[in-house]
Amino acid sequence: MPEEIPSKHEADVVRSTASAEPPAPSASGSLHDPDDVVESPADAERQPLKSGQREFFALAVAAAGWLLPGLGHAVLKMWGRAVALFFTVSLLVAVGAGMRGNIFSSNREDAFSKLGYVADMGAGTFYFVARALETEGPDVSRANGDYGTRLLATAGVLNLLAALHAYEAMRGRKA
Amino acid sequence: MSVMVDPELKLSHLQAMVFFALVISIAFGFLSRRTAYKRARYIIWSLVLFLLAGVGIGWLMYPFSR
Repeated sequence: MPEEIPSKHEADVVRSTASAEPPAPSASGSLHDPDDVVESPADAERQPLKSGQREFFALAVAAAGWLLPGLGHAVLKMWGRAVALFFTVSLLVAVGAGMRGNIFSSNREDAFSKLGYVADMGAGTFYFVARALETEGPDVSRANGDYGTRLLATAGVLNLLAALHAYEAMRGRKA
Repeated sequence: MSVMVDPELKLSHLQAMVFFALVISIAFGFLSRRTAYKRARYIIWSLVLFLLAGVGIGWLMYPFSR
């Protein structure tokens, strides 16, 4: 997979937090360490976002990432991460629903079910996709359904983690 | 005589564990590393650790299973 090009947001962030000695570019113009962020002339001319604006956009990016797995990173032009997240979360949801895992609903009483509902809702719109896929309902009387329940919860928690990652990247943390 | 096809996906415990470890390793690799080489290394390393931890914990629980 080709190396991801850092987004303007990331470049903006690194520029503001860069040390006094920036990394020396190589003869080809690229940096020695590919983990470092390249600052383009366009970035240098661009006005940095104000703190309030950055926070608002960061929240919007996180919300987008939560609603559709990978969308938050796609907005930040982190294409590799966006594609990987979309496919991993969708695969977990598809297999979890295929194994007839339990998809928790909001009207349960006990704490475990509420916690499960929060985890499942972490998958955003994929929560409803899982419900649609599971036409015959959950079956946790067998171990297979139990594994499916874990996979569905994992999909949600992974998507929440990804949304948090996109939020931090937009806010300026090196991600 | 008609044959009913069971649409339910069936995975053994080991298959489910390997699937879980692989998918999570890929996601973590892409989230935490930038270059393809570093991602591949991280994914393989994470997958091996997941599997070792899973099998190790399984063996630790073995004396209590009977």
